[in-house]
Amino acid sequence: MSSTTSAPPPPSALVAAAGALDARKTYGLGDAVVHALDGVTVSFEPGRFTAIMGPSGSGKSTLLHCLAGLDDLTEGAVFIGETYLASLDDKKLTELRRTQVGFIFQAYNLIPTLTAEENILLPLMLGGDTADPAWFDEVVRTVSLKDRLKHRPSELSGGQQQRVAVARALVSRPTIIFADEPTGNLDSNAGGEILRFMRQAVDQHGQTIVMVTHDPYAAAHADRVIFLADGKVVHEMSDPSADGIIDRMKQIGH
Amino acid sequence: MRARAGRNLFIGLAIMLGVSFVAGSFVLADSLKATFDNLFTSLNANVDLEVRRTLTVDVTDAQRDPVPAELVDQIAAVEGVGVVEGQIQRFAQMLDSDGKPVSTQGAPAFGISWHGPGGTSSVVVKDGRGPIAAGEVAIDKATADKVGYEVGERIAIVFDKGQESFEIVGLVGLENSDGFGGATIALFETETAKQVLDWGGQYDVIDLTVADGYDQAEVQAAIREMLPDKTEVVTGQQVGEEIADGINEIIGVFGKGLQVFAFVTAFVSAFIINNVFGITIGQRLRELALLRAVGANRKQVRRLVIIEALVVSVTATFVGVFGGLVVAKGLIALFEAAGAGFPATPLIMNPPAVIMGVVVGVGVTMLSVLIPAYRAARIPPVAAMRPEVGFSSLGSNRRLLTGSIVTAVGAIMFLVGLFVRPGGSLGLIVLSGGGTLAIFLGISSLSATVARPVAGAIGTPIRKLFKVPGQLAVDNARRSPRRTARTASALMIGVALVSAAAVFASSLRDTFARILDRSITADYILTDESFLGLPTGVVERLDAIPELSAVSPFRFMFANVNGVPDAPDEQITAVDPVAFPQLADLDVVDGDFQKLVDGDGVMLLDKKAEELGVGLGDTIDITYQNDETGSLVVSGIFSDASLGSKWYISIDTFEQASDQAPRDQFVLARLADGASPDVARPLIQAAVDEFPQTKVQSNAEFRAEQEAQINQLLAIITGLLSMAMLIAVVGIAIALALAVFERTREIGLLRAIGMSRRQLRRAIRWEAVIVSVFGAVVGVVVGLFLGIALSYAVPNSVIDGITFPIPIIVIIVLAAIFAGVFAAWYPARKASKMDVLEAIATE
Repeated sequence: MSSTTSAPPPPSALVAAAGALDARKTYGLGDAVVHALDGVTVSFEPGRFTAIMGPSGSGKSTLLHCLAGLDDLTEGAVFIGETYLASLDDKKLTELRRTQVGFIFQAYNLIPTLTAEENILLPLMLGGDTADPAWFDEVVRTVSLKDRLKHRPSELSGGQQQRVAVARALVSRPTIIFADEPTGNLDSNAGGEILRFMRQAVDQHGQTIVMVTHDPYAAAHADRVIFLADGKVVHEMSDPSADGIIDRMKQIGH
Repeated sequence: MRARAGRNLFIGLAIMLGVSFVAGSFVLADSLKATFDNLFTSLNANVDLEVRRTLTVDVTDAQRDPVPAELVDQIAAVEGVGVVEGQIQRFAQMLDSDGKPVSTQGAPAFGISWHGPGGTSSVVVKDGRGPIAAGEVAIDKATADKVGYEVGERIAIVFDKGQESFEIVGLVGLENSDGFGGATIALFETETAKQVLDWGGQYDVIDLTVADGYDQAEVQAAIREMLPDKTEVVTGQQVGEEIADGINEIIGVFGKGLQVFAFVTAFVSAFIINNVFGITIGQRLRELALLRAVGANRKQVRRLVIIEALVVSVTATFVGVFGGLVVAKGLIALFEAAGAGFPATPLIMNPPAVIMGVVVGVGVTMLSVLIPAYRAARIPPVAAMRPEVGFSSLGSNRRLLTGSIVTAVGAIMFLVGLFVRPGGSLGLIVLSGGGTLAIFLGISSLSATVARPVAGAIGTPIRKLFKVPGQLAVDNARRSPRRTARTASALMIGVALVSAAAVFASSLRDTFARILDRSITADYILTDESFLGLPTGVVERLDAIPELSAVSPFRFMFANVNGVPDAPDEQITAVDPVAFPQLADLDVVDGDFQKLVDGDGVMLLDKKAEELGVGLGDTIDITYQNDETGSLVVSGIFSDASLGSKWYISIDTFEQASDQAPRDQFVLARLADGASPDVARPLIQAAVDEFPQTKVQSNAEFRAEQEAQINQLLAIITGLLSMAMLIAVVGIAIALALAVFERTREIGLLRAIGMSRRQLRRAIRWEAVIVSVFGAVVGVVVGLFLGIALSYAVPNSVIDGITFPIPIIVIIVLAAIFAGVFAAWYPARKASKMDVLEAIATE
């Protein structure tokens, strides 16, 4: 364990798609202070699929939100590509989310009034851009949504809705995609499908993905798993297997 | 819990606003009435009995003939009579220090005889003293303050006989007021009054007090015994009430307008309150189902809903009723800004104001909540677990059917009320008013079925222009057609009423212009501002101008036709029979105006002749307003009633039938052939110089002024109704704020994936614009229907063709766009300030 808990190599904007440097996030004051993130330093290499795991309250969601520019740190820094997020105002931050970040949430990922196609294209259209048709077709083919494009979310199953969300995250070719429990609301079949699509995006298109999950079988699809506990990185694992993850989780005290 | 507090706050706000405007309209109407009532009853507070000529018609404008002066001594001799004072009250126009007439904005300008304090007069000297000698005057303090006169200064006053200068020795008023409800009052010592007011040996009325220890009724009976024919004795109280009634008839129109406005605001508020409940019912149901799931029984759930609604509505109503006072103050300020001169009006709140407030506030709220409450109690606890809970509302087809039926029934009621008028004016009001309400309800229901396509159509340019925000705006407006329809309907009502008024007013205006073109061939029209009429000197002076080929006065009197049961009061117009045919073309079909010269002749409208069954040469027996009888021979028949009168007689006939000092309502004049207006106009102006109250207008100027007055009336109606529209705009804002609330998670998602605050605000703003334009478009359509029907319902002589007020309709739609932008301001701000992370985390 001592070998794996040693500090990770110093992050470099040139080799990492995104990362955090001594990231700290505290809530409350005095005795009631809670350290959601207690000095996290981590980097995510381009073209890799990373899973973040940890028990409830370990800070994994907070880390994801801070990395994605949805929440800010108390101390430390986060960066995406070559940009430190703390330096951005709301307008710049919004633009960064639109152009460099893709999101997949646990549920309610789609705008109910828009069709699947419009939902997929939403980030591009918000920036006044149009999709490269070839890439759009490629993405749609990847998530097998060809015959569902004109449907509205209410006419799609949960799995299909989540596939639309994956396609939306992919279509703008973001620097990094953040997924927050993307399979949490799905049955294992649909969930497995989503994970395979994400894997495929990494393998075939070199997409960088960071996923928060508490499901060892989901995390097993990643290239690397980072374990968080009490706001600290406590372990890291490459090319994980589900069993290996389960063992590690038991040690951490899940 | 926070959601619930926010929701109740919005509901409370909607209720409060509605109640304020309803109560405010009632407060203003009641306060104005009370102010005028007080004024005119206090005016006669010291008069025990009044002797006057009888008046046989019930017309506010009708002037009583005077009584002979010698009656004063005869009355004084009756046992029990205290002070007896002959009163003279005639036209007296004050001039300001620049020699311009002091404007009364339509109220009369009177000179009055002053017998000193302690008699029958209620006039109180506020400053200086009363007039006791020739050359002295006391004027009302309100006018003095307005124009800037002080005691000791000199003032010029114009009488029928000419202009004279006086020293102001005092400023007067009534016990509780410096003014006389807008009229200007000049008091003269009695002998001076007789002379300057040209009393002609006659008093207008004789006022008296009853001596101590005598019974008023007995004294009244004793005086009645000795009075000559066509003279009566009445109590001072009755006189006060009559004057107050007369004034109330005038301000009553205004009061009725206010009440209509109050009902409109009540109706609009009801829509909004109901809508807010409709919007929140989904969230509410989930909460209730949760309560049921944890073990609350139906009765408890029901009670909870009702108590919550009661607390909110009673609190909001309470605040709203007091808000009514603020609204009333605001309305007064609004009218004063528009140029209406109100006397100082202390606000009073009568029970109807409070009752209507409670009916709207608590009543509508409870109705809006009771039905859902009973249904809510029946929802299964498991509904709490479902993401989407809602009632199966009326299906689209059924709504189409019910909406169509209600609209059709409303339209029929409205049309029957207007054109058939069963049961007279009550039937007119009940049927057309009720019909209008039904139309609004039906259209509101129908709107829901067309909301999707119409919102899509309105949104097309917005979608093109604003891309994603535009599309989201359109989609959100189409999302819940019922809600969109209901929100828009509140605005639709105000817009419909304004458009209807606009159609009616512009048709009226253009008809009037056509009448002037067709019927009035005079080149000049002379009038006076106070509506007391012009002295006969005006016609005499104009007759002397060679550039004018014809001059005729236009003088009114009232009479009843004998032998007709419940004979209506007929307005009889006296003209110069020789000049008049050159000044007006009334389509004479038989006989001739010239024949009136022979005396005792009448020119009769064809319809009136038909109604009375008379023809050329027949005699009609009539009783004039002063109880004198006469016989008129039909000298001719005409068919154009557009100048308002159905009877024309000669000035000679008029003067034989009346003792009053004659006054001309209008004077018409025509340029001689070949005469230049550039020459004639200054001559006319110079001729009436000694009567500065005279307004000389060319035909075109007169028309422009009449049109301007109609436009001003329309502006006031629009101003009032824009209050109702303001409520509707607040309703849109509330509905939108609630929608933003509901869509918190969606907004968070949009922001997370890269929508800027500006784009978000834009989406919400244009959603509001689509809703408001939807309301405006439907409103204009309904309003055109109502306005056209209304215009057809009035006689042809009033409106003979429809004018579509295109500019006003354009303004309404533009205003609707601004209203939408305005309504979206708060919700858009709230949405754009939302914390993205919190929004996403919302369940």
